[in-house]
Amino acid sequence: MADPTSISCEHLTFSYPGAAELALSDVSLKIPPGQYVGVVGPNGGGKSTLVRLLNGLLTADSGRVQVAGLDPATEPFEVRRLVGVLFQNPDNGLVAPFVEDDVAFGLENLGVERAEMRERVREAIASVGLAGYERREPHTLSGGEKQRVALAGLLAVRPEVLLLDEPTAMLDAAGREEVLSRVRDLAGSRTVLHVTHHLQELFDADRVLVLNGGRLAADTTPLELFSDAELLRENRLVLPTVPKLAADLGLPFCRTPEELAAAVARRSRDGVQAR
Amino acid sequence: MRIELQGVRHVYAPGTSFAVEALKGVSLSVEPGEVLGVIGGTGSGKSTLVQHLNLLLVPTAGRVLVDGKDALSLDRSELRRRVGLVFQSPEQALFAPTVEEDVAFAPQRLGLGEEEVRERVGETLELLGAGHLAARSPFALSGGEKRRVAIAGVLAMGPEVLVLDEPTAGLDPHARSDLIYLVGRLKASGMTVVFVSHDLDEVAEVADGVCVLEGGEVRSIGHPAEVFYGDPSMAPATVRVAAALGVSRPSLGTPVRYGETLAALRRVLGAAP
Repeated sequence: MADPTSISCEHLTFSYPGAAELALSDVSLKIPPGQYVGVVGPNGGGKSTLVRLLNGLLTADSGRVQVAGLDPATEPFEVRRLVGVLFQNPDNGLVAPFVEDDVAFGLENLGVERAEMRERVREAIASVGLAGYERREPHTLSGGEKQRVALAGLLAVRPEVLLLDEPTAMLDAAGREEVLSRVRDLAGSRTVLHVTHHLQELFDADRVLVLNGGRLAADTTPLELFSDAELLRENRLVLPTVPKLAADLGLPFCRTPEELAAAVARRSRDGVQAR
Repeated sequence: MRIELQGVRHVYAPGTSFAVEALKGVSLSVEPGEVLGVIGGTGSGKSTLVQHLNLLLVPTAGRVLVDGKDALSLDRSELRRRVGLVFQSPEQALFAPTVEEDVAFAPQRLGLGEEEVRERVGETLELLGAGHLAARSPFALSGGEKRRVAIAGVLAMGPEVLVLDEPTAGLDPHARSDLIYLVGRLKASGMTVVFVSHDLDEVAEVADGVCVLEGGEVRSIGHPAEVFYGDPSMAPATVRVAAALGVSRPSLGTPVRYGETLAALRRVLGAAP
């Protein structure tokens, strides 16, 4: 697309009918194509509202939204071809009796020609690591597998933008890693907006938006957010265990237990003597 | 109250082509006053296991003993009052117009007098830090508040054992730490708690004992330090840091909880703990 901005919001404001407070208040931001952007903040902060405004499920009270050059409020169907949304609970999104039918569902609705559909479905299933699962029934899959089927269904449509709304909230550690590694593979090739409560999922993000009380409380990088205790506290964010230990010990940011163990060993007196 | 499972097997849809053996002979005990953490991946049998603790599910083979007596011989509704089970996403079962009425539902069914019901509801909501919500509609609360009200509904029955199945799933980090704190307070009040989770870090903070399930079998069970240091691949981040560092430093010990781990690492760094 010629438009250099993938997602743009100007003074976006929204309130739910009957609610006393604004769900989103004067939010402005621009996201260039290919950027991987995390969205964090407390429950009720406006994260899911933003996702719903970006694909036209909700319409702003005032302000402007553009996604891939289109306004989701006036052209929702065009926008939804370009924007795929992955929600929290995969059970709510899977519709067909077999994995391959489910992945083909979006393409069928778009009227994609059969031979091409077959090819795209095969490709999408392989790209989430589920080759061989084509004839499996979705209800027999684990949570992580179901969520990857849902992701394949989005990828088959070849969206320019992916909106991930807490895609790992219902999964165990193994399922979470399965989905996250597939999502990380997409970084760079598409614009990704990833809503999550787990800061460790955003170690590799290009950028992090913090939404609190409907306002954009910060627009920053993961490293800066993780090292700003004040900003974390104000927005009810909790550092993952490893970076928290590192911070409490006065060591620089560490992401894995091994990294932290090595940093402690280097810094410790007996570590120095051993060298 | 002490609950013991002896060789419990459970088969769903037995005798059909859909038969699934969810538990393959599980033996363990829940000791009075302890917090037992049950961990394991999706499909490991955690939820099936906890539903045997109050005989919502009856074992296909094996026995459930309550204070040494076969649970099958006990009055079923009395057993379910004594062993309160909070399901996954319990807020889906909230139904009354106000929080107070929702929490009062179970004590009323127990046949308690109006005065006593009111007292119990008040006490329980207070204990959960939800007293100020009593007159609100349960449907207008935040996710963490709803979860606490749903737990209050079970606690109001006055159980001796509280079973929480994935109580923190889907909550934001602050609501999660509130809940972990709550489990600590329940334990301090003498309650026995069975805490099911796939978040090892939070189990590490509250559990006196840990049971790791895998494929319907007990993979390991015991004191958290034993279980986690015995297999650091199934351990919380604190243990993985200490295990990675501890090979050459026996003085580090085997810390599990965050505070212990931080203190142990400070000792290694040579700072005053």
